[in-house]
Amino acid sequence: MTSLLNVDVEIIKLARLVDREPKDLEHLRGVDPQDIRDLREQVTVVMFDADRQMLQRVASATKLIPTKLAALIGERAFGPLLCARLTGLLEPSRAVDIAARLPTPFLTDLAIELDPRRASRVIAEIPPQQIAEITKLLAERGEHIAMGGFVGHLSEAALRAAIAVVSDEALLRTAYVIESKGSIGALVATLPTERLEAIIATATAAELWIEALDVLGHVSERQRGQLGDIAAGQADEVLDGMVRAAQRELLWDDVLPVTRAMSAESRARFAALKSIHTRPVLASIVDAASRHSLWPELLQLLPLLPAAARRRVAALGTGFGRPVLQQIVGAAHQQGLWGPLLQFAAELERRTQVLIAKLLAAVADDVLDAMLDAVWEERLEPELAHLASLLTSDEMRSFSERLVARGGEEFVAALREAAEARELADLSEALAAA
Amino acid sequence: MSATAIRDLEAELGGRPPAGLEALTDAQLSSFTDALHDAKLRQSEALRSAVEEALEIVPRLVRGPVRKILFG
Repeated sequence: MTSLLNVDVEIIKLARLVDREPKDLEHLRGVDPQDIRDLREQVTVVMFDADRQMLQRVASATKLIPTKLAALIGERAFGPLLCARLTGLLEPSRAVDIAARLPTPFLTDLAIELDPRRASRVIAEIPPQQIAEITKLLAERGEHIAMGGFVGHLSEAALRAAIAVVSDEALLRTAYVIESKGSIGALVATLPTERLEAIIATATAAELWIEALDVLGHVSERQRGQLGDIAAGQADEVLDGMVRAAQRELLWDDVLPVTRAMSAESRARFAALKSIHTRPVLASIVDAASRHSLWPELLQLLPLLPAAARRRVAALGTGFGRPVLQQIVGAAHQQGLWGPLLQFAAELERRTQVLIAKLLAAVADDVLDAMLDAVWEERLEPELAHLASLLTSDEMRSFSERLVARGGEEFVAALREAAEARELADLSEALAAA
Repeated sequence: MSATAIRDLEAELGGRPPAGLEALTDAQLSSFTDALHDAKLRQSEALRSAVEEALEIVPRLVRGPVRKILFG
């Protein structure tokens, strides 16, 4: 998963607070983004509290004058920055009335300076039409960061109105920098399928897959599946764009959870993409699965890949040591992916197959039961028999005894049949003797 | 990073800055401390002159009560 925080975005936000250009804070680039965000939180408090006593008095004095005059004074004397500082101190309904009398460009400037968390009630009460007008101007100015700060504070009607006036590209750029990432799901939920399709096509056309995959990382599993299905329904060029971006930016740990959440049909479509069958791409996918424990996602994809691609993955698996293989076996058990694991194991080279066989022979009884159920249901006796035949005589005898004890006579008979068909005499005898 | 540079920033922030900032040089830390200090000064100055300008715009009739709320 890409970092929840983007160092560029954090620097831009912090620079704005202290009225500097982002380049003036370039030296912060080496600092952890979370530390920059924490610093920004501290600076926000400092800047909003610096003149709090006087600002509070101004807010109180505002009650003595008519709304129209308050708006005039706000625009002429205070300007957008100080009005932004004042907004959260005003009675929300009063602030909304004043805002109704201010021109959109002024409110746009104010919105850029506002800390939405300090004016949440005011923002929630601004009419959707006015929110849309401000949003339109913010988008025209490329103020995606400011827009992203508001998402979690808008009413649903206002959010819909805002979304309706921005381009797909602006929407993607904004979603990427949303302050409260938990709000991305609500944002996506307001979008009709046709808009989501257009946004996904835009991700390729405008080279915004980093942003799009970040969004996919912050929605619910159901939404991730829905978006994954929409993506899988796009033309090859669109999906190839995603593959290129994922490969260039090493974002496979963002892509694999999407393949997990999408429908089986979509997953098959994704696995059929020629662009993921190359060795470098497969190597990156296997690497991401290894580094981020995404073995279930990879196991789901493996049977769907064409034979040549599977062989490439198997070649990559040659280097897997016991700990990695143990993780894969664990993932197969937890996610009920014994079929893909046993089929994949059959394509590995002998040394790795031996390691897997030893691991399978040593699994706990409940794990063994689950595996035997899968073997029985999916008719994977030949694959299991082949692996078991690679064990040493002692291991094979002990495993055979467990197979008899846990699998029952009918299962062992089927396994013996598979062993004999493959001329695995040692295993057949061990099973008969057990 | 020296203790003095961190203390100066701490004074401006009113609290200990995040640990990650300790990796910055004194000059980098001071540059940020100065930026924050200047921003606060500019804001206070802007507010002072905005209040004065606002009082010019407020009708004479309510200017007294407004002034009283603003300056006690």
